[in-house]
Amino acid sequence: MPDAPGPFEKVYDAHVLGIYRFIYARVGNHPDAEDLTAQVFVRAVEQLDTDRHPGEIAAWLYRVAQNTTADYWRAFYRLPLVGTDHVAPGWEPADTSTPPSESAGDSASTRVETVLRRLPDHYRRVLQLRFLERLSVAETASAMGITSGNARVLQYRALRRAALLEEGPDA
Amino acid sequence: MPESRRPDDAATRFERYLDALLGTGRPSPASVADADEAEMARMAAELAAAFTAPEEGEPDPAFLEQLRRRVREADAGITAVRISPPVRERPRPSGAAPWRLSRRELLQAGLGAAAGLAAGAVGASLLGGNDRATIGGDSGTLVSGDGFWAEVARLDELPPGTALRFSTAAFDGFVVNDQGTVRALSSVCTHMGCTLQFRPDWQDLRCPCHEASFDLAGRLANGRTAWRASGAYRGDAGAYPLDLPDLVRPRTKVEGDVIYVWTAQA
Repeated sequence: MPDAPGPFEKVYDAHVLGIYRFIYARVGNHPDAEDLTAQVFVRAVEQLDTDRHPGEIAAWLYRVAQNTTADYWRAFYRLPLVGTDHVAPGWEPADTSTPPSESAGDSASTRVETVLRRLPDHYRRVLQLRFLERLSVAETASAMGITSGNARVLQYRALRRAALLEEGPDA
Repeated sequence: MPESRRPDDAATRFERYLDALLGTGRPSPASVADADEAEMARMAAELAAAFTAPEEGEPDPAFLEQLRRRVREADAGITAVRISPPVRERPRPSGAAPWRLSRRELLQAGLGAAAGLAAGAVGASLLGGNDRATIGGDSGTLVSGDGFWAEVARLDELPPGTALRFSTAAFDGFVVNDQGTVRALSSVCTHMGCTLQFRPDWQDLRCPCHEASFDLAGRLANGRTAWRASGAYRGDAGAYPLDLPDLVRPRTKVEGDVIYVWTAQA
């Protein structure tokens, strides 16, 4: 092991937390966030030129993180995987077009708050209980005075409505 | 939005996605029926992340440390390449065993590990197996131009739960007895090509370089996915941050008391 951090380890130290948070905000769970973060840094080790300007390195890492996350969601959309491994090696990773409603610049929590505000009360309530309070379906049902089956259907419809809202006016 | 699906069925299926997302599992695309539900899943993932308490949203320190080790290997590789640019060798991490060892050295390395782990009997059978299993390309039965069945061991040398090293001119591997199933596996780690060592007490093939473990079917056994799912390798600091391909598994047959492995012509 080198005593002082090498060039890749310096890049890792500077960016791993930011990349992890970027990915976690988009996949919402740790096992997948870990896998995708590891993929980003493995790809960096294979392709990143550590002599580049720090700003360029950061931009490269976040583009790879965005593409890697987009590929993750492709599996949910049943879209053919572009697969980050198949993108031609080079300084600028090809922009594998992202699934709809990907807007990297937005703050995810701001978008979530906007969506929640625009939902009808009982939809907002069921999502708050499930996602903010982290109650189970049964607990949510009991808090709302409905059956578990109804709670499942309600959260399904709430998410459907929220997804439509999130696509915005051009949807 | 058409409501053609029966809402109860769809809601019950989709709950599997949410259960994994909000619990400790890994959400699967199989819980999502179509592009509309994929949008809902993304919405749910963003909601889950946005509502995660700050301390709950941070990465696991063990994960960060494992990934750092991978990155350090890359730095070590760069150093090796820069020191000797004309040599077109694959870089190896500092501190790892040299890649090209003689058979005897390989054998001794494997024996040392086996003995250190416990089993004298297995160590002896490793030794015996290696001596007799170093087979030249012309000593097996020629079957076709592409390869031949090489005799690598006798069945009575390979009781359940043991493994023997063998080498043909073209191939280095183990024959293993996995609870009665005899199998041949490559001894080359699919990460960086280090030579695996059999660990009787773990029933695995362990990589001395970065601690990947392969089960006796040749699959990575201590990847993070397996580790989380089964709880195996609990406390194993080497739980592997990535998935690795399976080990190469040449065809194997047992005729009478003799184990043959199909091997390519060198």
